[in-house]
Amino acid sequence: MSFDLIIELVYKSFTGSAKSVYTIARVVIPIMVLMEAGRAYRVLDRIAERAKRFTRVLGLSGEAAFPLTVGVIFGLAFGAGVIIQWAKEGTLKKRDLYLLSFFLISCHAVIEDTLVFVAIGANGALLLGCRLTAAVLTTLVLSKRLPLERDLPGSLQSKI
Amino acid sequence: MKVDFFNDVIVKGTKNGLNVTWMLAKVIIPVYFIVTFLDATPVIGWIARGMEPIMSLAGLPGQASIPLVVGNLIGLYAGIGAIKAISFTTREITIMAVMLSFSHALPLETAVTQKIGVKGLPVILTRIGLAVVSGIAVNLLL
Repeated sequence: MSFDLIIELVYKSFTGSAKSVYTIARVVIPIMVLMEAGRAYRVLDRIAERAKRFTRVLGLSGEAAFPLTVGVIFGLAFGAGVIIQWAKEGTLKKRDLYLLSFFLISCHAVIEDTLVFVAIGANGALLLGCRLTAAVLTTLVLSKRLPLERDLPGSLQSKI
Repeated sequence: MKVDFFNDVIVKGTKNGLNVTWMLAKVIIPVYFIVTFLDATPVIGWIARGMEPIMSLAGLPGQASIPLVVGNLIGLYAGIGAIKAISFTTREITIMAVMLSFSHALPLETAVTQKIGVKGLPVILTRIGLAVVSGIAVNLLL
């Protein structure tokens, strides 16, 4: 590699990566402000209340609506935090834990992920549609196949 | 409860946003540098040629294997850094976005799901499976 080429590549990397970070910052900062507004005005509780109808369709109990909403909006780590806390307190059934996890692995942090990909040129509606559909389908299939609560191994709770 | 709009919403939200931006800058910038330099060597060309037959199933060029691998091993933002460092069409970006949104940051996120008590292997297989199926499906539909 010649010296000129190295200088050119460093310049290209520097400006290109700075531009990418700027593109994403322009999306991420307003989203975080919006999310704080949602938290401050308790929008999450209201969404979770509505999500109860949806969790029933998926074969989940009403208690799963809140962790589901948190995970879908804020991401896997936050969702898992709520799920672990609720599992410890015994609010969530083992069945719910399983189904929630499988819903969330394919569909989490949808606002941030979708907008960030839109910022670099992807089709957002298609992206969001695919994720939601896949998450609903996998959870439905699993909820039909998953044994009833009493037949599940007890190891789940003790692992946490 | 009274909400202090400026401090609780604007200041806190901006602070969180800047934190996230800093976190992703630490990932995007190094990945961007590495991929840009690799792009000047024949290495990416070799990988691209080797992966071409598989990637073409999802309507992607061979180079697309690089953001997919980087995104799955490190994370979504690293994958984005790699996408930006190589040039792709918007159609290709959409396909990669769908695939990556199903399956990314596997070491990190599998650890998170294991904490909930779900075994790692079924989670990884489900995610990779969804990525492959969705990649092929979106290529056919779009």
